[in-house]
Amino acid sequence: MIMGSNMAECHPVAFRWPLKAKTDHGAVLMHVDPRFTRTTAMCDIHAPIRAGTDIVFLGAIINHVINSKRWNTDSFFKEYVVNYTNAAMLISPDFKDTEDLNGVFSGLSEDGKAYSNASWSYQRNPAPKPAVAEAKTFTDLLLQRVPGRPKTDPTLKNPQTVYQIIRRHYKRYTPEMVEKICGCPKEKFLTVADTLLNNSGRDKTSNITYAVGWTQHTVGVQIIRTAGMLQALLGNIGRPGGGVLALRGHATIQGSTDIATLYHSLPGYLNMPDARKNHDTFKDFILTESVPLSTSYWGNYPKFAVSYFKAQFGDAATKENDYGYDYHPKITGDHSHLPMFVDMMSGKIKGFFVMGQNPAVGGQNARFQRKALAKLDWMVVRDFFETETAAFWRNSPEVKEGEVKPSDIKTEVFFLPAAMVAEMEGSFTNTQRLLQQHEKAADPPDDARSDIWFTYSLGKQLKKLYGNSPKDHDWAIRNLYWSYDPEPSEVASFRIKDEPSAYKVLKEINGYTWEDKKPLSSFVNLKEDGSTVCGAWIYTGVIPEEGKNNAARRQGDNWISPNWGFAWPANRHIMYNRASADPSGKPWSEKKKLVYWDAAADSGTKDAKGKPLIGKWVAPSGEGIDFQPTKAPNFRGKDNGIGFDWLSGNDAFIMRADGKAWLFAPSGLVDGPMPTHYEPYESPVTNLLYKQQSNPVAKTWNVPGNPYHKVADPDYPIVVSTYRLTEHHLTGVMTRWLPWLAELMPELFCEISPELAEEKSIKNAEYMTIETARGKIQARALVTRRMRPFTINGKTIHEIGLPWHWGWQGRAQSDVVNNLSVLVADPNVTIHEGKVFTCNVRAGKRGGAA
Amino acid sequence: MAKGMFVDVSICTGCKACQVACKEWNGLEGEPSHFHKVPNVPYPIAFNFTGNSYDNTGSLSATDWRHVRFIEQFNENRSEARWLFSSDSCKHCNDAGCLNACPVKAIVRTDMGNVVVQQDVCIGCKYCIPSCPYGVISFSEKTGTVHKCTLCNDRIHNGLGTACAKACPTGSISFGEVSELKAKADARLVQLKALGHAEANIYGYTEAGGLNVFYLFMDKPSAYGQPEHPVVPQRRLFRSAAITVFTAVAVAVAALISFRERGAKKNEGVKP
Amino acid sequence: MSPETQAPHWEWYYIAMYFYIGGISAGAYFIGSLVELLGNVKQREISRIAYYIAFPLICITPILLIADLGQPVRFWHLFFYTKDGIPYINHQSPLSVGTWALLLYSGMSFLSFLRVLGADGRLKSPAVKNLLNLFNRIPHKVYAMIGSFFGFFTAGYTGVLLNTTARPLWEATDPLIGSLFIVSAASTGAAAIALAMSRQNIASGETFVQLEIFDRVAMIVELLLIIVMVIIAGQYAGPILRGWFGLMFWGGTVAVGILVPLWLNWSARRPGSAVNNPVMLSAVLILFGGALLRISLVQAGQM
Repeated sequence: MIMGSNMAECHPVAFRWPLKAKTDHGAVLMHVDPRFTRTTAMCDIHAPIRAGTDIVFLGAIINHVINSKRWNTDSFFKEYVVNYTNAAMLISPDFKDTEDLNGVFSGLSEDGKAYSNASWSYQRNPAPKPAVAEAKTFTDLLLQRVPGRPKTDPTLKNPQTVYQIIRRHYKRYTPEMVEKICGCPKEKFLTVADTLLNNSGRDKTSNITYAVGWTQHTVGVQIIRTAGMLQALLGNIGRPGGGVLALRGHATIQGSTDIATLYHSLPGYLNMPDARKNHDTFKDFILTESVPLSTSYWGNYPKFAVSYFKAQFGDAATKENDYGYDYHPKITGDHSHLPMFVDMMSGKIKGFFVMGQNPAVGGQNARFQRKALAKLDWMVVRDFFETETAAFWRNSPEVKEGEVKPSDIKTEVFFLPAAMVAEMEGSFTNTQRLLQQHEKAADPPDDARSDIWFTYSLGKQLKKLYGNSPKDHDWAIRNLYWSYDPEPSEVASFRIKDEPSAYKVLKEINGYTWEDKKPLSSFVNLKEDGSTVCGAWIYTGVIPEEGKNNAARRQGDNWISPNWGFAWPANRHIMYNRASADPSGKPWSEKKKLVYWDAAADSGTKDAKGKPLIGKWVAPSGEGIDFQPTKAPNFRGKDNGIGFDWLSGNDAFIMRADGKAWLFAPSGLVDGPMPTHYEPYESPVTNLLYKQQSNPVAKTWNVPGNPYHKVADPDYPIVVSTYRLTEHHLTGVMTRWLPWLAELMPELFCEISPELAEEKSIKNAEYMTIETARGKIQARALVTRRMRPFTINGKTIHEIGLPWHWGWQGRAQSDVVNNLSVLVADPNVTIHEGKVFTCNVRAGKRGGAA
Repeated sequence: MAKGMFVDVSICTGCKACQVACKEWNGLEGEPSHFHKVPNVPYPIAFNFTGNSYDNTGSLSATDWRHVRFIEQFNENRSEARWLFSSDSCKHCNDAGCLNACPVKAIVRTDMGNVVVQQDVCIGCKYCIPSCPYGVISFSEKTGTVHKCTLCNDRIHNGLGTACAKACPTGSISFGEVSELKAKADARLVQLKALGHAEANIYGYTEAGGLNVFYLFMDKPSAYGQPEHPVVPQRRLFRSAAITVFTAVAVAVAALISFRERGAKKNEGVKP
Repeated sequence: MSPETQAPHWEWYYIAMYFYIGGISAGAYFIGSLVELLGNVKQREISRIAYYIAFPLICITPILLIADLGQPVRFWHLFFYTKDGIPYINHQSPLSVGTWALLLYSGMSFLSFLRVLGADGRLKSPAVKNLLNLFNRIPHKVYAMIGSFFGFFTAGYTGVLLNTTARPLWEATDPLIGSLFIVSAASTGAAAIALAMSRQNIASGETFVQLEIFDRVAMIVELLLIIVMVIIAGQYAGPILRGWFGLMFWGGTVAVGILVPLWLNWSARRPGSAVNNPVMLSAVLILFGGALLRISLVQAGQM
């Protein structure tokens, strides 16, 4: 099931695999989406839903599945769910569900802006006696703080079990409700639900694939959670052909979150030191971050953290100075894109580096963002064409229409030429966590340079300028370990001789022992005593020995292809693949065999007495085993242990503090332990399930220039969604300057149903105007039956669609679609709600002419 | 050994990678009629939006040697909903209208069966253009000659396949020996029919003497803008030549009768 | 019928005009040569005028054809294949065969032109006179026969050329355009001769009347061919039935170029008519109609 994604158009190369599954193996492809796209054209089933109603649809599938005959009689499902999910855990009696509180959970603050998750927690057994009396290391500290195991009812009958709570929570998510709220015919919904149900089990698995059609909502994270829950209930996680596949957006964007270009992360998904949390000292940081997770593989957090800081500061990082923790930057709030631009607009941001980004077109409420750029003192734009962001000060629509004068813009703009993808060397990490080495084919021309060259050179210049400054806040830059000059052999065939060594960077990310600089082959060898360096623990193993880069391997087979590139962690392609075997360690079926327990095999290790340990997990396909290799299926974890010691032989989900897949999320998300249908922040209809209209804790910015529409605003009755085409990439910097691509999709167009077009006298291929409280744009009308009106609770709701690739520069020019959108975001990750808001349309150009 | 391409439209996603790869390999520019100059902008701007589904290319031209078609088949209540895609190009016919029409032997067939235009021979008479039943070969104002897909003549004669087949992400376009491609197409047709696609058909086994670039369509050829039973124009030449000769003879005879020696015969009733 | 074909973008002032001028030249020539081969001394005037008209007209045609080429300087490729220098003809291509025919017809019409110049004592240059004497070793009737044959070819092949394409209008009117062009060439050729004769005030006499009868028959046959052609074209006749080209075709060629001259001639011949036979007017109208025939058919097929 492809939902929240237009895979064929946005991931055309990856899409060959679903098609192959269809043509060679009879797989059924289903597309759940408001529009009929090029993906839908290749699928067997299309279930149309109104934008923003995904949780209703998915929740209804959950409801349908857990009440179905098949799920309740085929023993596979209960066996998987009881053993591998937290279905049997008991939740605090203080917990109140959305069914009890008109659409919110217990724990909502007085002002309704934030949740406390205390009432969402597990009921626990008493905490065990600590395994150590005196704490000598960070690990010891964790061992002193192990919580009691959660209480469970494996029969699932106790009303406080996660399972019963879920039943109650989704009870009203029926096929009738789907038809009423999503506008999707009942029969279509049931076809999708039954197809998933009947194609899950011992012998078959189903996959759910998504992308930004799910993430870019004020309930984005919760939508994805629903899919995770559904797949866990269907027993599809950790199994071949199953799982939830997140299609990442650009080349190496998976790598961009792994190595943390995000403000709130350290590489390897550690959290950034945060002045708002209890992170004052390094010990505080370790305890705050690790204690809640110590009973999972994250129990090794101290080793990951120390190795990271050692990588940053090298010799200057010592046990005495807490590995430089005190000098490391700390965040003080939400510094992601949207609030950063709000701060920029109020003059708080002085300077801005824009690399491979074009917020003048790609930013929500683009007029707001362009005006914010004018408040900077300076901005550095690195790109290969003069993007709209680089040119905003001289020819943005605001300047052309006289709203803003260039002489009033004090921003000093530096535009530097950047190298293109074929002119750069390094590893790519794509959607499936796969690292692949990417080779440099040619030098960039003249002064154009790669991002790595720029960043490295900038760092070197700064270090020089900071000289011997004694100030504390200069310590970090001065002591930054910054040594990536290339070996002569690496730059021999190129003109640019000071291009930094991508290999050295990757080796540092991989990790090595500080003393002898030998690469580490596994993260199990990381230490918390400062003897190991590791930029991102999840990547350890990509360079297992000096000179060997597993990302460069290119031996494929027709299945797992373990010798093609390197999948993190530890070349495991299917995460949590312990779940591909049943609780006793046998494969669920011969057909779906992946990882299983071989009780007779020599594990290759010996016990304390020197006797060889017998029994290990095996994967004949060469797949990495996502479990402790020698832990028997019937092993009972130590109540007072941490990490692998605490986890039992059935705790397949080794990164979760309880070793189980979470159907109910007692912590980690700020807007609720279970996904709940909330209407998009701007919607033409009220929430038909609850009194609570939209996500109560969604991030909003009530600042001038960012006006929101009312619910069911009569001035803006039409739903609009923004999305992408195959022919262009994001804001078009990589495509709109190329004649071959510009002529494929030359102009902005609006996809509109014939019903709405007729109502508004809009003619195909002629201009139409789309308007919100934020801005007004014109587009060509593309009148097509691939768009359809939805009947929501008896009322006709129209939807239009806008691909947002165009700006006013380049060879294909049109109005900026994001002039229409608004700053509003998911509260967990501050991702913007770009997939659904409201607008109005009329025939004719922006200025009134046809 | 004839080389060609098999286009399986059932796995075409309409991505247009074939169009771009072709332009890239052959160094073709953006189609000139798609761009115009705009004041204060240093390069021509594209303005060729057609409103015809996702197809802004429109047709093959001297710089568009591949053209992806988009065919929306939706009834009013969307109970029948289908969007067909097909990547069109020169078919490299075994009986090629363009080759037959060329008066200077600029259009020739290579040892691999593909039909190419020798750019140094073509005089730009443009007679090949209306002679192609598929509307493929096109004239370039810039070069004064005609252009079309060459089946990547340089690539295939150096051990490589066509650029479009290489770029196609789903394998919809495949390059190889025509006999092997036919076996692949036949198998695929069987597979599709078994799945209930009764309208699926192969186009190009018999048309125009057999097409070296042939298709597996999911609907009638006319749905894809292709002629159902194309007649290569030169197959009609004998008949029209014969009738024209007959007419010439008749005119000659009429002239003879009109202008024969009348001798003593007077023309009655004719005033000067 | 092919739903998608492309138009060759031949300019009317090059290609359609070539069809027209070539038609007049060839038509005049084959009338003139047939009369010379089979007629009497009194009819020699027609031949003489025909030979005077034919060659100058055909001289214009290569300019028109070459100007329409995308690579004009390469026109000689029509005769020699560039890769081996050997003379080349493509029997499947009416354009190739027709080009050779045009060459040979031009040659013959040149010789005939020289001959009438010589006979009228208009040749001054001794070199040219010697050349003429050289050619005169072979009886002119031989040249006339050859020229007549290639003249018919030149008049008709252009129609076959149009029919041997996949353009709907031209494919649907197959196999008749060649015949139509030959008959039209006969008519316009005769009209050109008649016009020349009337300008020299010799448009009378038995010979002239024979010419007129020939032209009338040609026009009636032309009209019949047009009607049959449009019928067999069926649904594809659209471009020639509507718009400017429809007007040119029916208003120009049929009405003004055929029906009006026929009517003028008929009303002049009616017993009791006081009107003089408007020879010049009729000839001009016929010539006008012939031009529009070519232009409308060639351009409508490219719509």
